[in-house]
Amino acid sequence: MDTETVAELIESGVPDAQVEVTTPRHPDDDDHFAAVVVSPAFEGESLVDQHQRVYDALGDHMTRDIHAIELETYTPEQYDG
Amino acid sequence: MSFEPGADLSADEVRERVEETITDNHVALFMKGTPLMPQCGYSRKALGLLQQYEEDVATVDVLESLDAYRSALEPHSGRETIPQAFVDGEFVGGSDILEQLDERGELEAKLDA
Repeated sequence: MDTETVAELIESGVPDAQVEVTTPRHPDDDDHFAAVVVSPAFEGESLVDQHQRVYDALGDHMTRDIHAIELETYTPEQYDG
Repeated sequence: MSFEPGADLSADEVRERVEETITDNHVALFMKGTPLMPQCGYSRKALGLLQQYEEDVATVDVLESLDAYRSALEPHSGRETIPQAFVDGEFVGGSDILEQLDERGELEAKLDA
């Protein structure tokens, strides 16, 4: 799986999300990702719930096509602040 | 029949072990490998983050029966990825959440809860 596809999956699952997906280990890694996700939908949610939104967006890909993903989630204020 | 530990843990035994570990321990970490020999960077990172504030972290090596542990953990955490940390029976996160909590200075409070 490539970073664009992962980003599209997250954008489609998390409302108004700005997403940046990278491969933290080496450029052509195709199953270990890192993603920064910024969305107003995270307002007032615990980190676990925020991350759960992203996992739900990735659905069955998790652990099958995506071995691991390091998530950082922020509301717009937290991200710009 | 040889009795290597965890050689052929049935799904039920795994579910039971997950239940007990989560309820019987203040801090529990389901990881790949053991504290002495972690088998995955994320598991090692999660253990290190927890041990900053908590000496006795109860650990379980999910590699004994990975698929069974993934499905046994999912109802408790909503996901199948490893590692998974629990405090007083409540899912706290994988290594990325623990790291973000620590960066925000919220991890220690979470463990003292």
